[in-house]
Amino acid sequence: MPRIKIDHVKCTGCRHCETACSLNHVANTANPRRSRIRVMRDGNRYYPVISGPFVDAACTSKQLIEIEGQHYDMCAFCRASCPEKPYFIEAETGIPLKCDFCGIPPSPSCVRWCNTGALELVED
Amino acid sequence: MNGWVGRCLRVNLTEGRHTVEELNPALLETFLGGRGLGITVFSHEVSPETEPLSPENKLVFSSGPLVGTGAVTGASCNVITMSSLTGTIACAKMRGHFGAEMKYAGFDMIIVEGKAETPVILSISNDTVRIIPALEYWGRQTSETEDMFKKSLDNQWAARETFLVSIGPAGERQLPMATIINDRFLAVGGAGIGAVMGSKNLKAIAVKGQHSLEVADGDRFVQVVNTLINKLNSAPLTSQSMTQWGTAFLVGLCYQKGILPKNNFQQSSVSLKNISTDALENAFALRSRGCFACPIACIKKTDMKHHAYEGRGMVPTYLAIGSLGANCGISNLSAIGMANMLCADMGLDPVAVGGTVATLMELVEKKIATAEELKIDLRFGNENAVLDTLRLIATKKGHAQRLGPGAKAIAESYERPDVFMGVKGLPLAPFDPRAIQGMGLHFATCNYGPHHLYGYTFIDELLNVHEDSDPSGIEGKPALTKRYQDITAVMDSLGLCNWPLMGLKFKNFVPMVNSCLGTHYTADDLLLIGERIWNAERLFNMKAGLNASDDILPKRFTDEPIADGPGEGQVSRVNEMLPEYYRERGWDEHGKPLPETVKNLGLED
Repeated sequence: MPRIKIDHVKCTGCRHCETACSLNHVANTANPRRSRIRVMRDGNRYYPVISGPFVDAACTSKQLIEIEGQHYDMCAFCRASCPEKPYFIEAETGIPLKCDFCGIPPSPSCVRWCNTGALELVED
Repeated sequence: MNGWVGRCLRVNLTEGRHTVEELNPALLETFLGGRGLGITVFSHEVSPETEPLSPENKLVFSSGPLVGTGAVTGASCNVITMSSLTGTIACAKMRGHFGAEMKYAGFDMIIVEGKAETPVILSISNDTVRIIPALEYWGRQTSETEDMFKKSLDNQWAARETFLVSIGPAGERQLPMATIINDRFLAVGGAGIGAVMGSKNLKAIAVKGQHSLEVADGDRFVQVVNTLINKLNSAPLTSQSMTQWGTAFLVGLCYQKGILPKNNFQQSSVSLKNISTDALENAFALRSRGCFACPIACIKKTDMKHHAYEGRGMVPTYLAIGSLGANCGISNLSAIGMANMLCADMGLDPVAVGGTVATLMELVEKKIATAEELKIDLRFGNENAVLDTLRLIATKKGHAQRLGPGAKAIAESYERPDVFMGVKGLPLAPFDPRAIQGMGLHFATCNYGPHHLYGYTFIDELLNVHEDSDPSGIEGKPALTKRYQDITAVMDSLGLCNWPLMGLKFKNFVPMVNSCLGTHYTADDLLLIGERIWNAERLFNMKAGLNASDDILPKRFTDEPIADGPGEGQVSRVNEMLPEYYRERGWDEHGKPLPETVKNLGLED
């Protein structure tokens, strides 16, 4: 099954994937807040996050993640949208969004516009 | 509307209120947006006799129509005002994410007028515009300001989506070489703009928005953007050099042609070993950072391999290496990186401040100024003295007081105006005009002072991307310079970055413009708009008191041949090229646009 592999080290934070997604899903419209992929920013680093399910319950699994001595907020790369984190809720309609791989490959629109290789379509 | 939002936010700081206005569709057609629209609005509203630091001066932030739509490299927001350094109209190019966010917040343009009584921050979140008191931010460096502001927001997710432009201590104290800092990137070509923002007591502008932008033909637009990305990937400069090292890769090439200046343009042979791209890779862990919708990502983050500089700021670009490094005799990349970072924190323009320090260094070398008198050992190559100066310059204390007014004023205060290497009050960008003639002509004639990012002639002269043009020859150079000046003007107005010209022809952008805006421009139509903008700026400057006598390079470039290096023996032949350039532009022999030129471009009052 194909999936999108994210390599956040390669992400430059240009957000071209966000506009690609909204242009593909909403006719003739560019708006990162209507996109199913968002680039989260934590200090100097960027994490592309693809929207997952919407949860309207309070989160019980939140932890602080430690990688090489640095602490990271787990919410920064959690794929779910929740009342705490209003990402992936369409700005104009309030409907939660979920990635649909842009229907069928060749490849999802975000992968096509990602020039640095941070997003990649892989088969496993 | 397609591309444009069609709205303009006008903020009056004196009265503390704002209004939202519709943009005039006729102006959008003739000036597009961004730089062109900003220049027109500014020159209609502000008299050329205005004192730059008075409340009557205005600050116009203007995003292009392609910004935020997903157009390749559509990120540019221009800041237009009258510069306190040059006394001309000034237009800084701000990339990063601010321009796009401004459009999502629902504004193509933000006009700031008047003067707040106490320091304020302008906060724009969708349609909510607030003017927040910012006394506790005053005196802070730009990075601190950004962190503090984001912490002050109650919603951390909103904070992550907020983008800021701010001024540092240099702008607050109205130093003529102060610029504004956008999302921790420097605004290029912004000398004097930071001072104007400081004079209005405006510390920062924060934007965040969630409105949609419309494009005319989405399917075609997506197709064209795909093609352009592929084209950029197949061009060696944009896919390799720029992506790997950013503009710093130009250092080696400029050195080989004798263009890289040393010691205030007195010599040209530097020790390349310490500032080459290899040295860059050794000094920094390079990580690319992209402006909005940019597949190239030429800006490099510095995770410096030195305990003092860990993880802050950005890797020096060609501009920083040339101005703050080679031209001050420094060839230590860590020190240059530190200097560049200080510039960003303090809100200083690297070209203006580098030129100022180099001028004083030459005066010290010539024993006109002494170390005792200055209380600092400003010799060429003394990196610690430069770093100390950069830290102090914004405080206007001690020896740094002398540097505050800028390079030209220093040279004049020692009665040696000949050591000032600049035009219209702005020091030269680090390209020796004796070895690259077209750039020399551009430096002499540029409306904003000698800055290479307003006329990319080096793309042909140095890199030979579109045509082979010998940098030392003058044949065809006036036409080349004019062409690149026009292209730059129109691309700034569309909101596109100009660096992709290293891999794309100008005409490649035309389908993207048309499919996004729903227009039917040809490449020539767009170039005509560029010409119109260039002339509009020229006319404004002439009303502000500038004339052909301001179109000259310092005597060193026309009279003294290059002393050493690959360009040895060359002088700038700008005076031979100027008459032809004026003819090409449709100007008279005094550099004034002829009445028929003005009429053809539709610029009559």
